[in-house]
Amino acid sequence: LLICSIIQTQALSSVARQNSRLLHRSTAANSGAIFNHVDTPENNANTPFDFTKKNYERIEAIKANYPEGHKVAAVMPILDLAQRQHGWLPISAMNKVAELLDVPPMRVYEVATFYTMYNRNPIGKYHLQLCTTTPCMLCGSDGILEVIQKKLGIKVGETTKDGLFTLMEAECLGACVNAPMIQINDMYYEDLKPSDMEEILDDLTNGREPKPGPRSERFACEPLGGLTSLTEPPTGPGFGIRTDL
Amino acid sequence: KLHTVALNRSVQGVTSKTVIATSTRTQSTDNRIEVFVNDQSVWVEPGSTVLQACEIAGIQIPRFCYHDRLSVAGNCRMCLVEIEKSPKPQASCAMPVMKGMRIKPDSDVSKKAREGVMEFLLANHPLDCPICDQGGECDLQDQSMMFGSDRSRFLESKRAVEDKNIGPLIKTIMTRCIQCTRCVRFADEIAGVSDLGTTGRGNDMQIGTYVEKMFTSELSGNVIDICPVGALTAKPSAFTARPWETRKTESVDVLDAVGSNIVVSTRTGDVLRILPRLNEEINEEWISDKTRFAYDGLKRQRLTQPMIRDGEGKLSTCLWVDALPLVAEKLMSTSPEKISALVGGFADAETLVCLKDLLNRVDSEGLCTEELFVADGSGTDLRSNYLLNTRISGVEEADLILLIGTNPRYEAPMFNARIRKAWIHNEVSVAVVGSKVDLTYSYEHLGDSIQTLKQLSDGTHPFSAKLKAAKNPIVVVGSEVFSRQDGGGVHAAVSTIAQKARISSAANRGGTDDWKVLNVLQKVASQVAALDLGYKAGADHIRSNPPSLLFLLGADGGVVDRQNLPKDCFVVYIGTHGDVSAPFADVILPSAAYTEKSATYVNTEGRAQQSQAAVSPPGSAREDWKIIRALSEVAGVTLPYDDLDSMRSRMGEIAPNLTRYNSVEGANYFKQAHELAKLAKPKLLDAPLSSSQLVLADFYMTDSITRASKTMAKCVKAASEGLSPDL
Amino acid sequence: RQFVVPFSEMMKHFRHNYETDGGYFQRFRGVFIQMSRMNEIKYGTHVGTDELGNKYYENNRYFVGRNRWVDFNKDTWKNKWDFNASQITPEWHRWLHYMTDDTPTVKPPTQRKFLLTHTRNLTGTKDCYVPYSTTKPKIEAWKP
Repeated sequence: LLICSIIQTQALSSVARQNSRLLHRSTAANSGAIFNHVDTPENNANTPFDFTKKNYERIEAIKANYPEGHKVAAVMPILDLAQRQHGWLPISAMNKVAELLDVPPMRVYEVATFYTMYNRNPIGKYHLQLCTTTPCMLCGSDGILEVIQKKLGIKVGETTKDGLFTLMEAECLGACVNAPMIQINDMYYEDLKPSDMEEILDDLTNGREPKPGPRSERFACEPLGGLTSLTEPPTGPGFGIRTDL
Repeated sequence: KLHTVALNRSVQGVTSKTVIATSTRTQSTDNRIEVFVNDQSVWVEPGSTVLQACEIAGIQIPRFCYHDRLSVAGNCRMCLVEIEKSPKPQASCAMPVMKGMRIKPDSDVSKKAREGVMEFLLANHPLDCPICDQGGECDLQDQSMMFGSDRSRFLESKRAVEDKNIGPLIKTIMTRCIQCTRCVRFADEIAGVSDLGTTGRGNDMQIGTYVEKMFTSELSGNVIDICPVGALTAKPSAFTARPWETRKTESVDVLDAVGSNIVVSTRTGDVLRILPRLNEEINEEWISDKTRFAYDGLKRQRLTQPMIRDGEGKLSTCLWVDALPLVAEKLMSTSPEKISALVGGFADAETLVCLKDLLNRVDSEGLCTEELFVADGSGTDLRSNYLLNTRISGVEEADLILLIGTNPRYEAPMFNARIRKAWIHNEVSVAVVGSKVDLTYSYEHLGDSIQTLKQLSDGTHPFSAKLKAAKNPIVVVGSEVFSRQDGGGVHAAVSTIAQKARISSAANRGGTDDWKVLNVLQKVASQVAALDLGYKAGADHIRSNPPSLLFLLGADGGVVDRQNLPKDCFVVYIGTHGDVSAPFADVILPSAAYTEKSATYVNTEGRAQQSQAAVSPPGSAREDWKIIRALSEVAGVTLPYDDLDSMRSRMGEIAPNLTRYNSVEGANYFKQAHELAKLAKPKLLDAPLSSSQLVLADFYMTDSITRASKTMAKCVKAASEGLSPDL
Repeated sequence: RQFVVPFSEMMKHFRHNYETDGGYFQRFRGVFIQMSRMNEIKYGTHVGTDELGNKYYENNRYFVGRNRWVDFNKDTWKNKWDFNASQITPEWHRWLHYMTDDTPTVKPPTQRKFLLTHTRNLTGTKDCYVPYSTTKPKIEAWKP
């Protein structure tokens, strides 16, 4: 009865006044991320983090790319380096980067929270980013998602218990020609069929490295049925130019 | 902040008189360029912005993110104006003027742009004005009334942001934030503490500290003023009053020697909050947190009734008619050399004059200040010895600053903010002899040993070369060094350094020797006036001549106590707070604090300023000088003034600079002072030069008012132990 | 016309006061006081006395509205004529205001535990209620 009366009220009011706000008609715009740090056992200012010796050399090389007085610009590659080393970015790593670049930590936090590819919370060893934007969806990314979820027993946004996989839905990753596709850490796996996906996951679970790139026969993003143009060898210099020149 | 009157004017269009006057006056100056605002010609400096050009034309452009004293961000888009031949409206705060530009701030395009921006800003802004502390002084409120539409097309639910805990002073309601980033820029540029920033992006962008921490700045309260909405409001005065209900009294601050100009907001005899008042010479438009938030100390631990120590040795309240004859009788029966007075840091010039007149009437000369100064050499005879001669604004002209034995960040936050300003804009180089502390700017630390000081005065220190090459050097010595046993020696050494620098700077400047180098940064508000009036600095006189009758005028610095006074000494405490000295007094005469009286204070530059009575003194407390005047009458040595005007004319007779309000009486006898200082042949001891206020927690509680303040106690707790939810 | 009172009636007044006050001198004083208090001189049957010592009279010779009256306790005479209607106890108030014709002496009111003893209105006396501030003082004074 209560629900009925609410619906009635809403119906009536929407007839009477178009601009009424009695009930919100849209859901709240939620993003998955939170933009302030909350101390957790695995992520706090005392989380041990230090760059390896090799990475310190790398940092020097990165910093050398930027002119004097603009060394702060190295914050993004160095944060990336920290993430690659640690798997994700704990607050202590950001503090370390700030210390290395001699900037207030807040300036590093700003950068780290702005870009979505800095993972400020622990993620699995393999970060599965499945593209579910329109072209991939039309080519069957939903099926791929189902395979992953079934096989790993996790939903989108979750990490497996063994800490090996984290599944995320990603927006278009720019490989629409080879849809559907998934990005696992730095690698693209394209032209996927559910069986391919299972194979890839099996390989990863067993410590093998699956072959990146398209799973179909084609090379890169060439047409599936073979080349339709540019099939001949390229012509040499001087082609099509007047003979008298 | 924008005011409705000004906004009105911008909408209706301004009368052309001022514009024409400006243009005719400036046409002769070559480098100015002509632009047209609403088809009226305006001549502006090249490089100024469209917004400034409009301001010169008398048209105020609405804005949120733009602030005169902060860098330009250009992210609120509220200042969009139409410019001819520009396809889209331009953000006027970030758009430099070009020759012949035709700016149309009142055109339909401009108006529509503002309306649209306002609609977007309000899309996520909560409609909680009735429970918002900013209501009535809110830029968003004012400007949405003036430039906004009366309806919105957004039906989506609003974004919500978690509130942050950034300390016991600033209350955050981050849902109200419109991301103007004024607070971020203030923290970065003025306060020099980059604790605030923007995290996240797009709809999720928020202002905060990312990790939960206190905004650890001594100037943090100013972000409350610059916040154009109610996102940052004052925690201590939350939900107390609307701005239109309060009565504003323009006054000056006495909690440090800078004498920041303040506005005291009161309602029904209650000080509700303290805000800064613009004074370009002193505090610009900022004040320190102590100035702003220590007012609740004026409501606690107050002396409201006269008290007499009874037969059992307990202090009990009494009437003025009981207390005054008792003191008067003591005053007349004690031999003059056994009468002394010690004045504390909050004494105003009127009271100092009055007390000195009274004691001189009974042939006593035992007038001392709690704060120390040197007696060697010319001592306090030459004003240049104890003033901040270059003035606070003079820092902006300096090219080299040498700080000796001082931490200006906590001893005089507004002075430090000025140094930081010069450090940012003029690239002044700073060097410090003293404790190594965070001054919010980088400096060359020359160590804290007395040897460094010796070398500097000999000219053998490596830094001496820089000092010699400087055109406008400043040497600032903190008054704390005078509490050292070798204070005279330090002063002499500093005056040697300053005198050498003065000579070399005169040469570097082409022979003009009008640049003053020596500066003394006082710590308490009463000191300069007391020295001007001939008080002896320090309680040495009292120690060497044990008094039988001692007047303590707000002397709560712990310089004297029962142990170092003779047993039969009769102590009369005239002051506001039951703090250090009141418990051992024999008679307590309650007096008025700085918000409760019209009084004269002289800041460290030697600038006389007037405080105004915002509320009446509590209970039977009376203005200090009136107490002494009444006492003189009861004692039969009536002082010849009975109102404030005649009081001040007497003050003017003794020291004319005390009544020349808001101007600085310069002092110039540097050379003579230096020579006299050398004659004294002072010694230097080996103790390192250090300051007592090293970290933020040391800053908040330094005197009887701040010690009584609960807010300051919370600040100390938060600064030393970290945040807790109850703060 | 109202000043013309039959002699017999006048004597009844005197007798009334004589009976209530007693003594030779008091009878004159009683009349004087009754005149001063009530602006008229009445006589009637004493129907009862309440716990505060006020006496209640009735004389149906007078018309309704004036046929029942109270003679306040003599103690209050001493208190400089300090009497007022709040001194009438509630049970007699009912009778006096014609809510009932039965006097409390004839039909006493039900006694209940929660009934309070009647007190007069203390406003203006030394025992009156003085409101006090429950808010915190704006200034906290120092206590040695």
